[in-house]
Amino acid sequence: MSLTDPMLYAYLLVLVAGFLPTDVFRFAAVLFSRRLDEDSEVLILVRAIATALLAGVIARLVLFPTGDLAGVPLWIRLASIAAGVAGYFLIRRSVLAGVIVGEIVIVGGAVLFR
Amino acid sequence: MTEQAENGAPQPADAPEESARVWFWRGAKAGRLSVQGIVLFAGFIGFGGLIRDIGFPLGAALLSTVIVWALPAQLLIVGGFAAGSPAPVIALAVGLSSVRFFPIVASIMPMIRGRSGLGTQLFASHFVAVSAWVESIRLVPPLPAYARMPFFLGLSNYFLWGSVATTVVGYLLAGTLPQALANGLVFLTPISFLLQLVRNARDLVDRSALVFGLGLTPVVAQFGGSLDLLWIGAIAGGAAYAVGRWQRART
Repeated sequence: MSLTDPMLYAYLLVLVAGFLPTDVFRFAAVLFSRRLDEDSEVLILVRAIATALLAGVIARLVLFPTGDLAGVPLWIRLASIAAGVAGYFLIRRSVLAGVIVGEIVIVGGAVLFR
Repeated sequence: MTEQAENGAPQPADAPEESARVWFWRGAKAGRLSVQGIVLFAGFIGFGGLIRDIGFPLGAALLSTVIVWALPAQLLIVGGFAAGSPAPVIALAVGLSSVRFFPIVASIMPMIRGRSGLGTQLFASHFVAVSAWVESIRLVPPLPAYARMPFFLGLSNYFLWGSVATTVVGYLLAGTLPQALANGLVFLTPISFLLQLVRNARDLVDRSALVFGLGLTPVVAQFGGSLDLLWIGAIAGGAAYAVGRWQRART
Protein backbone atom coordinates (compact mmCIF):
# COMPACT_ATOMS: atom_id res chain seq x y z
CA MET A 1 0.00 0.00 0.00
CA SER A 2 1.28 3.45 -0.84
CA LEU A 3 0.38 6.80 0.65
CA THR A 4 -1.82 7.50 -2.32
CA ASP A 5 -3.94 4.45 -1.54
CA PRO A 6 -7.28 6.02 -0.64
CA MET A 7 -7.95 3.49 2.16
CA LEU A 8 -4.61 4.03 3.89
CA TYR A 9 -5.00 7.76 3.31
CA ALA A 10 -8.31 7.65 5.25
CA TYR A 11 -6.54 6.20 8.32
CA LEU A 12 -3.78 8.81 8.11
CA LEU A 13 -6.40 11.53 7.80
CA VAL A 14 -8.11 10.34 10.98
CA LEU A 15 -4.81 10.32 12.85
CA VAL A 16 -3.17 13.51 11.61
CA ALA A 17 -6.12 15.70 10.60
CA GLY A 18 -8.52 14.33 13.25
CA PHE A 19 -6.91 13.15 16.45
CA LEU A 20 -4.07 15.70 16.69
CA PRO A 21 -6.03 18.93 16.08
CA THR A 22 -8.81 17.76 18.42
CA ASP A 23 -7.01 16.37 21.46
CA VAL A 24 -4.46 19.18 21.51
CA PHE A 25 -7.28 21.41 22.77
CA ARG A 26 -8.51 18.85 25.28
CA PHE A 27 -5.01 18.42 26.71
CA ALA A 28 -4.30 22.16 26.66
CA ALA A 29 -7.50 22.76 28.61
CA VAL A 30 -6.39 20.37 31.36
CA LEU A 31 -2.98 22.02 31.60
CA PHE A 32 -4.45 25.53 31.71
CA SER A 33 -7.70 24.63 33.40
CA ARG A 34 -8.06 27.90 35.20
CA ARG A 35 -11.26 29.67 34.30
CA LEU A 36 -11.41 30.72 30.69
CA ASP A 37 -13.65 33.58 29.69
CA GLU A 38 -16.12 32.04 27.28
CA ASP A 39 -17.10 35.48 26.02
CA SER A 40 -13.62 36.64 25.00
CA GLU A 41 -13.48 38.19 21.51
CA VAL A 42 -11.23 35.48 20.08
CA LEU A 43 -13.52 32.68 21.21
CA ILE A 44 -16.59 34.42 19.79
CA LEU A 45 -14.86 34.65 16.39
CA VAL A 46 -13.61 31.06 16.54
CA ARG A 47 -17.04 29.78 17.44
CA ALA A 48 -18.60 31.71 14.55
CA ILE A 49 -16.06 30.25 12.08
CA ALA A 50 -16.56 26.73 13.46
CA THR A 51 -20.35 27.04 13.20
CA ALA A 52 -20.10 28.33 9.62
CA LEU A 53 -17.71 25.48 8.68
CA LEU A 54 -20.10 22.88 10.02
CA ALA A 55 -23.04 24.56 8.30
CA GLY A 56 -21.02 24.40 5.07
CA VAL A 57 -20.40 20.68 5.48
CA ILE A 58 -24.10 20.06 6.15
CA ALA A 59 -25.14 22.12 3.13
CA ARG A 60 -22.68 20.20 0.94
CA LEU A 61 -24.07 16.84 2.11
CA VAL A 62 -27.57 18.02 1.18
CA LEU A 63 -26.80 19.88 -2.06
CA PHE A 64 -23.95 17.80 -3.50
CA PRO A 65 -24.20 14.24 -2.11
CA THR A 66 -21.60 11.87 -3.50
CA GLY A 67 -23.19 8.45 -2.99
CA ASP A 68 -26.55 6.87 -3.68
CA LEU A 69 -28.32 9.85 -2.10
CA ALA A 70 -27.55 11.80 -5.28
CA GLY A 71 -30.33 9.78 -6.94
CA VAL A 72 -32.95 11.47 -4.74
CA PRO A 73 -34.12 14.68 -6.48
CA LEU A 74 -32.76 17.92 -5.01
CA TRP A 75 -36.21 19.31 -4.24
CA ILE A 76 -37.02 16.30 -2.05
CA ARG A 77 -33.77 16.77 -0.12
CA LEU A 78 -34.58 20.44 0.41
CA ALA A 79 -38.21 19.64 1.35
CA SER A 80 -36.95 17.15 3.95
CA ILE A 81 -34.67 19.78 5.51
CA ALA A 82 -37.49 22.35 5.54
CA ALA A 83 -39.91 19.83 7.08
CA GLY A 84 -37.33 18.85 9.71
CA VAL A 85 -36.74 22.46 10.74
CA ALA A 86 -40.50 23.15 10.80
CA GLY A 87 -41.06 19.99 12.85
CA TYR A 88 -38.39 21.05 15.31
CA PHE A 89 -39.98 24.45 15.91
CA LEU A 90 -43.59 23.21 15.94
CA ILE A 91 -43.04 20.15 18.17
CA ARG A 92 -41.65 21.57 21.42
CA ARG A 93 -38.24 22.38 19.89
CA SER A 94 -37.39 18.69 20.00
CA VAL A 95 -34.41 17.61 17.86
CA LEU A 96 -35.72 14.03 17.84
CA ALA A 97 -39.15 15.16 16.58
CA GLY A 98 -37.62 17.31 13.83
CA VAL A 99 -35.37 14.46 12.71
CA ILE A 100 -38.35 12.07 12.52
CA VAL A 101 -40.41 14.54 10.44
CA GLY A 102 -37.50 15.18 8.05
CA GLU A 103 -36.84 11.43 7.74
CA ILE A 104 -40.49 10.73 6.85
CA VAL A 105 -40.26 13.27 4.01
CA ILE A 106 -36.93 12.01 2.62
CA VAL A 107 -37.87 8.32 2.77
CA GLY A 108 -41.38 8.96 1.46
CA GLY A 109 -39.99 11.16 -1.30
CA ALA A 110 -37.40 8.54 -2.25
CA VAL A 111 -40.10 5.87 -2.47
CA LEU A 112 -42.39 8.02 -4.63
CA PHE A 113 -40.09 10.08 -6.83
CA ARG A 114 -36.73 8.44 -7.43
CA MET B 1 -34.65 12.98 38.10
CA THR B 2 -34.84 9.40 39.28
CA GLU B 3 -31.27 8.87 38.14
CA GLN B 4 -30.21 11.69 40.36
CA ALA B 5 -31.55 9.96 43.47
CA GLU B 6 -30.10 6.66 42.38
CA ASN B 7 -26.59 7.74 41.49
CA GLY B 8 -26.21 10.95 43.30
CA ALA B 9 -27.34 10.26 46.85
CA PRO B 10 -24.92 12.30 48.97
CA GLN B 11 -23.20 10.05 51.44
CA PRO B 12 -22.69 10.71 55.13
CA ALA B 13 -19.12 11.83 55.81
CA ASP B 14 -18.26 8.65 57.70
CA ALA B 15 -19.72 6.23 55.14
CA PRO B 16 -17.20 3.66 53.91
CA GLU B 17 -15.88 4.43 50.41
CA GLU B 18 -17.13 2.22 47.66
CA SER B 19 -14.64 1.07 45.07
CA ALA B 20 -13.90 2.98 41.88
CA ARG B 21 -15.25 0.01 39.93
CA VAL B 22 -18.66 0.37 41.57
CA TRP B 23 -18.79 4.05 40.60
CA PHE B 24 -17.60 3.32 37.07
CA TRP B 25 -20.54 0.99 36.52
CA ARG B 26 -22.95 3.45 38.11
CA GLY B 27 -21.73 6.00 35.56
CA ALA B 28 -22.28 3.54 32.72
CA LYS B 29 -25.78 2.81 34.02
CA ALA B 30 -26.59 6.53 34.15
CA GLY B 31 -25.60 6.70 30.47
CA ARG B 32 -28.03 3.92 29.62
CA LEU B 33 -30.90 5.94 31.06
CA SER B 34 -29.96 9.13 29.23
CA VAL B 35 -32.01 10.71 26.42
CA GLN B 36 -28.81 12.48 25.35
CA GLY B 37 -27.40 9.03 24.65
CA ILE B 38 -30.29 8.14 22.33
CA VAL B 39 -29.76 11.26 20.19
CA LEU B 40 -26.00 10.58 20.22
CA PHE B 41 -26.40 6.98 19.03
CA ALA B 42 -28.90 8.03 16.33
CA GLY B 43 -26.22 10.41 15.07
CA PHE B 44 -23.63 7.61 14.90
CA ILE B 45 -26.04 5.26 13.13
CA GLY B 46 -26.36 8.00 10.52
CA PHE B 47 -22.57 8.41 10.45
CA GLY B 48 -22.20 4.68 9.77
CA GLY B 49 -24.65 4.93 6.89
CA LEU B 50 -22.94 8.05 5.54
CA ILE B 51 -19.44 6.57 5.41
CA ARG B 52 -20.71 3.55 3.50
CA ASP B 53 -22.40 5.83 0.99
CA ILE B 54 -19.25 7.94 0.60
CA GLY B 55 -16.88 4.97 0.45
CA PHE B 56 -14.90 5.83 3.58
CA PRO B 57 -13.39 2.66 5.14
CA LEU B 58 -15.29 1.37 8.20
CA GLY B 59 -12.09 0.70 10.17
CA ALA B 60 -10.91 4.30 9.77
CA ALA B 61 -14.38 5.56 10.75
CA LEU B 62 -14.38 3.41 13.92
CA LEU B 63 -10.85 4.57 14.70
CA SER B 64 -12.08 8.16 14.37
CA THR B 65 -14.89 7.51 16.85
CA VAL B 66 -12.36 6.18 19.39
CA ILE B 67 -9.46 8.62 18.94
CA VAL B 68 -11.21 11.79 17.71
CA TRP B 69 -14.50 11.35 19.60
CA ALA B 70 -16.20 14.42 18.21
CA LEU B 71 -18.84 13.84 15.55
CA PRO B 72 -18.55 17.33 13.99
CA ALA B 73 -14.80 16.82 13.55
CA GLN B 74 -15.39 13.31 12.16
CA LEU B 75 -17.90 14.76 9.73
CA LEU B 76 -15.33 17.30 8.54
CA ILE B 77 -12.82 14.49 7.95
CA VAL B 78 -15.26 12.30 6.04
CA GLY B 79 -16.78 15.22 4.13
CA GLY B 80 -13.32 16.53 3.26
CA PHE B 81 -12.27 13.05 2.13
CA ALA B 82 -15.33 12.83 -0.14
CA ALA B 83 -14.77 16.30 -1.60
CA GLY B 84 -11.05 15.68 -2.10
CA SER B 85 -9.98 18.57 0.16
CA PRO B 86 -6.23 18.63 0.92
CA ALA B 87 -5.30 17.14 4.32
CA PRO B 88 -3.94 20.43 5.79
CA VAL B 89 -7.24 22.14 4.98
CA ILE B 90 -9.15 19.34 6.72
CA ALA B 91 -6.82 19.51 9.73
CA LEU B 92 -7.33 23.27 9.99
CA ALA B 93 -11.11 22.90 9.76
CA VAL B 94 -11.06 20.14 12.41
CA GLY B 95 -8.86 22.27 14.66
CA LEU B 96 -11.22 25.22 14.38
CA SER B 97 -14.21 23.03 15.18
CA SER B 98 -12.40 21.46 18.15
CA VAL B 99 -11.30 24.70 19.80
CA ARG B 100 -14.67 24.53 21.53
CA PHE B 101 -13.30 21.66 23.65
CA PHE B 102 -10.99 24.08 25.37
CA PRO B 103 -13.69 25.88 27.37
CA ILE B 104 -15.74 22.66 27.67
CA VAL B 105 -12.88 20.65 29.19
CA ALA B 106 -11.62 23.58 31.24
CA SER B 107 -15.07 24.02 32.76
CA ILE B 108 -15.75 20.38 33.57
CA MET B 109 -12.32 19.22 34.76
CA PRO B 110 -12.42 21.04 38.12
CA MET B 111 -15.80 19.36 38.69
CA ILE B 112 -14.78 15.77 37.92
CA ARG B 113 -11.11 15.58 38.87
CA GLY B 114 -11.73 14.73 42.55
CA ARG B 115 -8.46 13.28 43.85
CA SER B 116 -7.05 12.17 40.50
CA GLY B 117 -3.60 13.11 39.28
CA LEU B 118 -2.56 14.98 36.13
CA GLY B 119 -2.09 11.79 34.08
CA THR B 120 -5.59 10.58 34.86
CA GLN B 121 -6.99 14.01 34.04
CA LEU B 122 -5.26 14.12 30.66
CA PHE B 123 -6.58 10.63 29.94
CA ALA B 124 -10.08 11.59 31.07
CA SER B 125 -10.09 14.77 28.98
CA HIS B 126 -10.09 12.68 25.82
CA PHE B 127 -13.52 11.33 26.79
CA VAL B 128 -15.04 14.78 27.18
CA ALA B 129 -17.50 15.51 24.38
CA VAL B 130 -20.69 17.49 24.35
CA SER B 131 -22.87 14.51 25.33
CA ALA B 132 -20.84 13.48 28.38
CA TRP B 133 -20.40 17.12 29.32
CA VAL B 134 -24.16 17.81 29.36
CA GLU B 135 -24.92 14.71 31.43
CA SER B 136 -22.01 15.16 33.84
CA ILE B 137 -22.99 18.71 34.70
CA ARG B 138 -26.38 17.31 35.67
CA LEU B 139 -25.29 14.17 37.52
CA VAL B 140 -21.82 14.71 39.00
CA PRO B 141 -22.20 17.64 41.45
CA PRO B 142 -23.99 15.66 44.20
CA LEU B 143 -21.37 12.87 44.19
CA PRO B 144 -18.58 12.60 46.78
CA ALA B 145 -15.21 13.76 45.42
CA TYR B 146 -13.61 10.28 45.22
CA ALA B 147 -16.52 8.93 43.16
CA ARG B 148 -16.57 11.62 40.46
CA MET B 149 -13.73 10.55 38.18
CA PRO B 150 -14.76 6.86 38.00
CA PHE B 151 -18.40 7.86 37.52
CA PHE B 152 -17.46 10.21 34.67
CA LEU B 153 -15.27 7.57 33.02
CA GLY B 154 -18.08 5.00 33.24
CA LEU B 155 -20.59 7.40 31.73
CA SER B 156 -18.35 8.67 28.93
CA ASN B 157 -17.01 5.21 28.06
CA TYR B 158 -20.56 3.94 27.75
CA PHE B 159 -21.24 6.78 25.29
CA LEU B 160 -18.01 6.20 23.34
CA TRP B 161 -18.22 2.42 22.95
CA GLY B 162 -21.97 2.61 22.34
CA SER B 163 -21.14 5.02 19.50
CA VAL B 164 -18.58 2.58 18.08
CA ALA B 165 -21.24 -0.14 18.10
CA THR B 166 -23.91 2.08 16.52
CA THR B 167 -21.48 3.22 13.79
CA VAL B 168 -21.16 -0.47 12.83
CA VAL B 169 -24.94 -0.91 13.01
CA GLY B 170 -25.46 2.05 10.67
CA TYR B 171 -22.82 0.75 8.27
CA LEU B 172 -24.35 -2.73 8.15
CA LEU B 173 -27.90 -1.38 7.88
CA ALA B 174 -26.92 0.76 4.89
CA GLY B 175 -25.96 -2.42 3.04
CA THR B 176 -29.17 -4.33 3.73
CA LEU B 177 -31.94 -1.74 3.81
CA PRO B 178 -34.19 -1.04 0.82
CA GLN B 179 -32.86 1.90 -1.18
CA ALA B 180 -35.29 4.54 0.15
CA LEU B 181 -34.56 3.64 3.79
CA ALA B 182 -30.83 3.64 3.09
CA ASN B 183 -31.21 7.16 1.67
CA GLY B 184 -33.02 8.14 4.86
CA LEU B 185 -30.20 6.65 6.93
CA VAL B 186 -27.59 8.73 5.11
CA PHE B 187 -29.76 11.80 5.52
CA LEU B 188 -29.83 11.33 9.34
CA THR B 189 -26.44 13.04 9.57
CA PRO B 190 -27.19 16.38 7.89
CA ILE B 191 -30.66 16.71 9.39
CA SER B 192 -29.74 15.81 12.97
CA PHE B 193 -26.66 18.04 12.83
CA LEU B 194 -28.55 20.96 11.39
CA LEU B 195 -31.22 20.72 14.10
CA GLN B 196 -28.59 20.44 16.84
CA LEU B 197 -26.88 23.54 15.45
CA VAL B 198 -30.25 25.31 15.46
CA ARG B 199 -30.85 24.23 19.07
CA ASN B 200 -27.36 25.18 20.23
CA ALA B 201 -27.40 28.59 18.52
CA ARG B 202 -27.36 30.77 21.61
CA ASP B 203 -27.15 34.25 20.15
CA LEU B 204 -27.21 36.36 17.01
CA VAL B 205 -23.59 35.43 16.13
CA ASP B 206 -24.37 31.68 16.19
CA ARG B 207 -27.56 32.09 14.19
CA SER B 208 -25.90 34.35 11.60
CA ALA B 209 -22.96 31.94 11.21
CA LEU B 210 -25.41 29.08 10.63
CA VAL B 211 -27.50 30.95 8.04
CA PHE B 212 -24.50 32.50 6.24
CA GLY B 213 -22.66 29.18 6.16
CA LEU B 214 -25.64 27.35 4.66
CA GLY B 215 -26.38 30.15 2.16
CA LEU B 216 -22.81 30.67 1.03
CA THR B 217 -22.16 27.00 0.24
CA PRO B 218 -23.93 26.87 -3.16
CA VAL B 219 -22.37 30.25 -4.09
CA VAL B 220 -18.83 29.18 -3.25
CA ALA B 221 -19.41 25.84 -5.01
CA GLN B 222 -19.88 27.76 -8.28
CA PHE B 223 -16.21 28.67 -8.16
CA GLY B 224 -15.10 25.19 -7.18
CA GLY B 225 -11.63 24.68 -5.80
CA SER B 226 -10.44 22.56 -2.91
CA LEU B 227 -10.32 25.45 -0.45
CA ASP B 228 -14.05 26.21 -0.61
CA LEU B 229 -14.64 24.99 2.96
CA LEU B 230 -12.15 27.53 4.29
CA TRP B 231 -13.76 30.33 2.28
CA ILE B 232 -17.11 29.45 3.80
CA GLY B 233 -15.65 29.45 7.31
CA ALA B 234 -13.75 32.70 6.87
CA ILE B 235 -16.43 34.69 5.02
CA ALA B 236 -19.57 33.39 6.74
CA GLY B 237 -17.92 33.15 10.18
CA GLY B 238 -16.31 36.57 9.84
CA ALA B 239 -19.56 38.15 8.70
CA ALA B 240 -21.45 36.59 11.62
CA TYR B 241 -18.84 37.95 14.02
CA ALA B 242 -19.20 41.40 12.43
CA VAL B 243 -22.99 41.22 12.84
CA GLY B 244 -22.47 40.45 16.52
CA ARG B 245 -20.12 43.41 16.97
CA TRP B 246 -22.56 45.68 15.17
CA GLN B 247 -25.37 44.51 17.46
CA ARG B 248 -23.27 45.10 20.59
CA ALA B 249 -22.26 48.54 19.36
CA ARG B 250 -25.91 49.51 19.02
CA THR B 251 -26.92 48.43 22.51
